[in-house]
Amino acid sequence: MGIKGKTAPWFIIFLALVIILFLANLWYGSVLIPWKDVLWVLTGSDDINEINKVIILDYRLPQAITAIAVGMALSIAGLILQTVFRNPLAGPSVLGISSGASLGVALVVFAGSLFQLELLNSAYIFREISVVAAALIGSFLVLLIIIFISTRISNVVTILIIGIMIGYTVSAIVGVIQFFSRAEELHAYILWGLGSFSKTSISQSVFLLCASLLVTMVVFFYIKGLNALLLGDYYAKSVGVDVKQIQIILIIIAGLLIAIGTVFTGPIAFVGLAIPHLARYFFKTSNHGILIPAVILFGISLTLICNLIAKLPGYDTSLPINAVTSMVGAPIIIWVIVKRGKVKRA
Amino acid sequence: MNRLLKIRNLEIGFESKKGKAVRLHHSLNFELTKGQFISILGPNGAGKSTFLRTILAYQKVLSGDVYYGESLLTDLTVKELAKEVAVVLTDKIEESFLTVYEIVSTGRYPFSGFTGRLTEEDNIFISEALELVGISSFTNRYFHQLSDGERQKVMIARAIAQDTALIFLDEPVAFIDAPSKIEIMELLTMLSHEHQKGILIATHDLEAALRYSDELWLLGVDGEVDKGDPKGLLNNGVINKFFDKDNIVLNKEKIRFEKKSIN
Repeated sequence: MGIKGKTAPWFIIFLALVIILFLANLWYGSVLIPWKDVLWVLTGSDDINEINKVIILDYRLPQAITAIAVGMALSIAGLILQTVFRNPLAGPSVLGISSGASLGVALVVFAGSLFQLELLNSAYIFREISVVAAALIGSFLVLLIIIFISTRISNVVTILIIGIMIGYTVSAIVGVIQFFSRAEELHAYILWGLGSFSKTSISQSVFLLCASLLVTMVVFFYIKGLNALLLGDYYAKSVGVDVKQIQIILIIIAGLLIAIGTVFTGPIAFVGLAIPHLARYFFKTSNHGILIPAVILFGISLTLICNLIAKLPGYDTSLPINAVTSMVGAPIIIWVIVKRGKVKRA
Repeated sequence: MNRLLKIRNLEIGFESKKGKAVRLHHSLNFELTKGQFISILGPNGAGKSTFLRTILAYQKVLSGDVYYGESLLTDLTVKELAKEVAVVLTDKIEESFLTVYEIVSTGRYPFSGFTGRLTEEDNIFISEALELVGISSFTNRYFHQLSDGERQKVMIARAIAQDTALIFLDEPVAFIDAPSKIEIMELLTMLSHEHQKGILIATHDLEAALRYSDELWLLGVDGEVDKGDPKGLLNNGVINKFFDKDNIVLNKEKIRFEKKSIN
């Protein structure tokens, strides 16, 4: 299942689109930066306005890199989950993994209020680290529960339903915690929940990108397994694929990617759900050899576009990214489902 | 080495919800040799599918032994088993955007590396399989746009591409129109007799099984078992024993079920 000749030119076009969108993210904002200074990122010449350099390095570059990392991580996670659970509605938020991250953050904020730690007023670094650690631990706890269940129950749909229920339970706990929180903590939590690409430093964003790239590279080794899973468990087994093992590995990979795409930015809705559908319908293929690179490029493009839209109001701050991805992502899902109905009847 | 499959004192069944094992058959003894076309027949609930799933290791062997060639089923890894036997199942493939070529190429997975990259040799196996089944012209069509009969041929081509000595098929001609049914049964006969494959099918289609198989394995609802050539089993009334209901009997001459006449 190699990449067919007709798809290769599209990949070049979308790669170019990603680069243009990346540069546009550096260029556009409350202050428009001249293209000469934007291209400095690529050329590295000394001839740059110092203020523009600061704007790019401290604000726009980390934001754009974060958007790239998160777009890639969540979209690939969505693709994996949709294939493993053979369900078009599977996605990062569905398995309760992002809810797990939210619970972690809510617990940290609540603990702060309980022990009068004054988290919000304490050192910025401490707050940052505790929130990130909490999100990671939370998402991995839910992931461990899912893996534990999936070693006992072989039916993937059952696991999916259990994942959704874990998500609801965790969200309910978060709701209770919010009820007992003070206004300031509630505010901090809600801000995290709205999602943002702008809270990461340059080193954090580079870390995110490296982690996201590394895990995504591993997925390329599972193209064959993912394709075999499309035929169903028994057919996959009949061609020598150890279904149980590969499902567990893929769920862990997806969990890692969701954690990467959630910790610094908050849960980002719809990207993981919508992008795999978009890629499938654009290239008219279910072959992961084409889908994986397509999903990476589409995912990055979507988050970069959403980040541009978030900056549209033109103030210093941007719109909550979660609202933007939902507004862009939900119509995509509706369009795909309507299209899907037409394809099935044809 | 002509014997491809040997089943010794095999006990099959499944775990019920309360954890009790439901045993369908205690002691199954069968053999399948090169070039043989064998049909497993039996009424609903006799355990045809359970039997197939057990010898494919999808379900646990309760007791007894299954040998592929000289190797014991329980000693084979998933990948090793994939080189012994290819399957055509009743499982539906729901994915919308898989081409015929992509589906048939999964038959080469037991031989390919991590990424599933196909070699020149793999492509030869794939095009020969498509040719043999007569669907070369479908290569780039989407699987979900084909008729049930055409889909079944694709799945058979996929099994052929896997290049195993054995092919097991579960209900290969159910839900398929009469001409396609004959086409598929002829194809399976050709695979066994001309290409020396061992073909084992589980079917409800008594007429087709009697007409095409070299041997029948009969499974009954109360644990009865029998085997033999179709003509013999038909003439000595064994098939009647397995299938007749109170007032519905098999007419041996016409090979069809009829209401028992009053006289």
